[in-house]
Amino acid sequence: MKKWILAIAVVLVLIIGMSVVGGYNSLVSLDQAVRAQWGQVENVYQRRADLVPNLVETVKGAAAFEKETYTAVAEARAQVGKVSSASLEKLAADPEAFQRFQKAQEGLGSALSRLLVVAERYPDLKATANFRDLQSQLEGTENRITVERMRFNETAQAFNTKRQSVPTVFIAGFFGNRFKEKPYFQARPGAETAPQVKF
Amino acid sequence: MVAAHSLILAVGLAVAATPNTWVTDGTGFLSPTVHQELEDRLSQHNAGSGLQILLWIGNPQLDGSVEDWSARAFKSWGVGRKGLDDGVILFIFPGARKIRIEVGYGLEGVLTDARAARIIRDEMAPRLQGGDRDGAARAGVSGVLAVVGGVADPAPQGEQRLSLVKIILLGIAGLFFLGLLITHPSMAVFLLYSIASGVGGGRSRGGGFSGGGGRSGGGGATGSW
Repeated sequence: MKKWILAIAVVLVLIIGMSVVGGYNSLVSLDQAVRAQWGQVENVYQRRADLVPNLVETVKGAAAFEKETYTAVAEARAQVGKVSSASLEKLAADPEAFQRFQKAQEGLGSALSRLLVVAERYPDLKATANFRDLQSQLEGTENRITVERMRFNETAQAFNTKRQSVPTVFIAGFFGNRFKEKPYFQARPGAETAPQVKF
Repeated sequence: MVAAHSLILAVGLAVAATPNTWVTDGTGFLSPTVHQELEDRLSQHNAGSGLQILLWIGNPQLDGSVEDWSARAFKSWGVGRKGLDDGVILFIFPGARKIRIEVGYGLEGVLTDARAARIIRDEMAPRLQGGDRDGAARAGVSGVLAVVGGVADPAPQGEQRLSLVKIILLGIAGLFFLGLLITHPSMAVFLLYSIASGVGGGRSRGGGFSGGGGRSGGGGATGSW
């Protein structure tokens, strides 16, 4: 009788141990996927920030008196520089910091689209190859941002779903801050679609 | 896991079926001769360079933007080789009068947004405005091929690096087979037969398109006419 109980206990411990290991490992791999995707998001945001100096210079040359518009872009760019040094762990731990990050990026996005609207008023500027190339780069980059943000939300959702399901939720709780829930990007109001090219 | 699976399924449902040819024209946009000509060019280019370049013409149900649909189609079809992500799709949506060039991650450095935009703006849109559909498609394909034409095929180098491992593995398999031939001759013959027929069945290279698992991240350009 005692032997049986011992055998059952050993089997139970083995099963629980294996499910803990399995749960932990799947959390680790989903966590890594979110981090990799976050890297992609940072990449495309950086790509947009890198376009700013060139774009501002080009518009400045042709439309020197639209000072307000490109000062706004430069300010938004500086704001982005301040928030984008934070790592994903910090942003995940502090929802407000994530909000600030998102807000700063959106600020730069709208400042840039205002710059393009202003540029529409200058046919000479619009016709230059340099400006057209910059414009298509900016449009491509905005589209990349949309795609990578969407994919970030997908991988974050996969992680959060796993993290909240039984029995992984107990394992995640045991490791404390190691497996914090991932934040989501909110849809930009009225800006779900990338800017369109007009000919 | 279940959530991830249903997401993939949802994405798969939202776009068109994976094409099995290099040129897909669901709307009779191209003349048959140009259709065949472009199919041959893209097939030959793939055989030479390994890059997967598709021309896809159709009027799908666009739930969101053209860009969104194109990125999902690219992901679902897996254009380009896995790890290299060296695929391009040139989309023409005649109903929406839109063109989209979706570029795989691996070719973003060569076929930049600005270059893709120029192909659409300078080569394709003016021809379409003039009603020259065949010419526009031909110019688009030529433009893309001219830009990515200089991309060397990295695959042969990878194979060379693997060759020593391959030889050893083949040697082990050969020894194993010899042993089997002595102990169980009928089983060895059966094994040989099934391997031979399997190889024959998989030999469809140089033919149509089948996705290699490449990815894109929304790079490229969109235009209209």
